Amino acid sequence: MASGELNLDFSAQHISTDAHCNGKGKILEDQAIDSDVQITCFTEDLHDVTLHFQIIKLAKQIYVWIGCNTARFGHLYAAAATRPNNAVSVTSLIGGSSDNAGSSIARRLGLKTGLSIVLACNIPKDSPMVEATAERKLVEKLRNLGYIKATPEGMRVTLAES
Amino acid sequence: MEIISNSCPSTHFPVAHKAISLDIKGNKTDIVICKYDDNFLVMVTQIGCMGSILRARKEESVSVDPTFNVSVVFGKRDEPYLLACARQLIENISCGSSRPLVLSLGLKDHSPGTLKDVISAVIDNRLW
Repeated sequence: MASGELNLDFSAQHISTDAHCNGKGKILEDQAIDSDVQITCFTEDLHDVTLHFQIIKLAKQIYVWIGCNTARFGHLYAAAATRPNNAVSVTSLIGGSSDNAGSSIARRLGLKTGLSIVLACNIPKDSPMVEATAERKLVEKLRNLGYIKATPEGMRVTLAES
Repeated sequence: MEIISNSCPSTHFPVAHKAISLDIKGNKTDIVICKYDDNFLVMVTQIGCMGSILRARKEESVSVDPTFNVSVVFGKRDEPYLLACARQLIENISCGSSRPLVLSLGLKDHSPGTLKDVISAVIDNRLW
């Protein structure tokens, strides 16, 4: 292997502080790009909770971690299109059950992105507002990153592999 | 073996992570290691997705010798070398930390040589 072949891309890591404040909190974003693996980390400060998001985009799958106040791993879910009809199915892998927050988020992400999803989430069980806000922020970020694309007709299509 | 590495110092973000890319037996391999409050996540992929997901933890026991619980939670359940890989890593982790491990292995080949290289790359870039 040629030792001169050092096309490292350290400049891909940068921290941007987004001054755009939606009135509810500030966003700190940290993004690292490493070839086929794209890692995005950001935090949303809401009035009473702090949500942390970590998105790891692989070629054919997206891994997401959502932290509510803490950096605990939480329950792990997987969602993917399955037979028949490519309907999206979801299952809990570690902890969790079908009525925990992460389960429905994983399923809807699978529907929107068209990719298989692995989601770790520690949002407490009976917090529908936190869950809805977390999902909204996450989908917004995925759309900004280009992992979800909206067509002019308003229907969502998947982003073909970059 | 050429290693390309990015790491997040996490001055703001509570989860530290490290991402490296290297060549193992001719296959481009991406490794991501994340440190959560109560867990370690190690993601190793050659195939563009997480592949099989395993969970490994150290059991609390009264005897001096530690025991470990390693299981596949998603994916291939008939590849013993995947379990062996998780077992090696949890043993390495448990020297300094009692946190469990979630390991994902999406590999093109499951030969012992490949897994040994995976293990040494992960240990060289560990966050524990």
